[in-house]
Amino acid sequence: MERRLYFLLGDLLSNTGVGALVGLALAALVGEAWPAVLGMVLGMIVGDVIALPAALLLSVPFGATEVMLPVMATGMASGMVVGMLSAIGAVSGGFAAALGALVGLAVLAATYGLNAYVRAGYASTVRDGQKTR
Amino acid sequence: MDLATKRKWDNAVWGYDLMNGYGPEWRWAPSKRRLFSTMEGKVLFLAIGTGQDIQFFPPDRDITAIDISDQMIAQARPKAERYQGRLELRPQDVHDLDCPDATFDQVFTSCTFCSVPDPVNGLRTLRRVLKPGGTIGMFEHTGSRWFPFGLMLHLMTPLTRCLGPELNRDTPSNVRQAGFVDVRVEPVYLDVVKLIHAVNPTASALF
Repeated sequence: MERRLYFLLGDLLSNTGVGALVGLALAALVGEAWPAVLGMVLGMIVGDVIALPAALLLSVPFGATEVMLPVMATGMASGMVVGMLSAIGAVSGGFAAALGALVGLAVLAATYGLNAYVRAGYASTVRDGQKTR
Repeated sequence: MDLATKRKWDNAVWGYDLMNGYGPEWRWAPSKRRLFSTMEGKVLFLAIGTGQDIQFFPPDRDITAIDISDQMIAQARPKAERYQGRLELRPQDVHDLDCPDATFDQVFTSCTFCSVPDPVNGLRTLRRVLKPGGTIGMFEHTGSRWFPFGLMLHLMTPLTRCLGPELNRDTPSNVRQAGFVDVRVEPVYLDVVKLIHAVNPTASALF
């Protein structure tokens, strides 16, 4: 797991920031009368359209793959959640941004957990004297 | 020489250090430094790019570094001149490497086989110039087997291929297909960024 404070804060800022941005965009874009599925699909697409240039920009100070993958996943997930909720009922800009940021935090935690799992798996195979395939 | 690939990387020089020289290099520094610390004997390094990896090379080594792009080599030259050891830069394509067979003890790569147009043949060329029993150490990013990362990397590859790397390669498989043995894959970030260690088999190991 990443332990350097600069990168921990960078990851946190990147994912919550992009999640909030996507949430705001979807709250403004999706109307109350829309079908929920349409809101969710549009949210996923718009989320990734916003996340891609944001990830490229954020990779300059904070790292390439380690920023790009969680930020793109955050864009997709926060777009789906906020898009669907906006279609179900009116969502304020503040609530959408907070929800998007929360989804970003959850995605980041999931990628950290997955990364720890992958590295622990490798460490155990090495400890057992096996080779990773 | 593959002129289309050479042109692509000549054009990529602009902004390359800005995009890759800060966050990505800082992030990957511990893994790269650890990988390159194992350099011994006569070493081939590809592709040197603008020379960002030189800062991670241990001193007093005998390294020949190649890159397909003259423009990249020109950017790398000042950094190579500051290296405390023997570091020779050569503009060369890995597909037609101008070196006698069994020249090098070790080969190292850094984010290279995401971009080599014919990776298996490129790796076979590396086997040719490696001494039997010589090793290859790679720092590479690849595709992912996990959703949604694998899907995202597949979707982005047509775009990134125009600018430089492919994001969905299966480099460990390519290493095995090229005939390397004892392939060991060490994850750096998820199943995407990884260190790959492998051995060029001796003639007796093939039978």
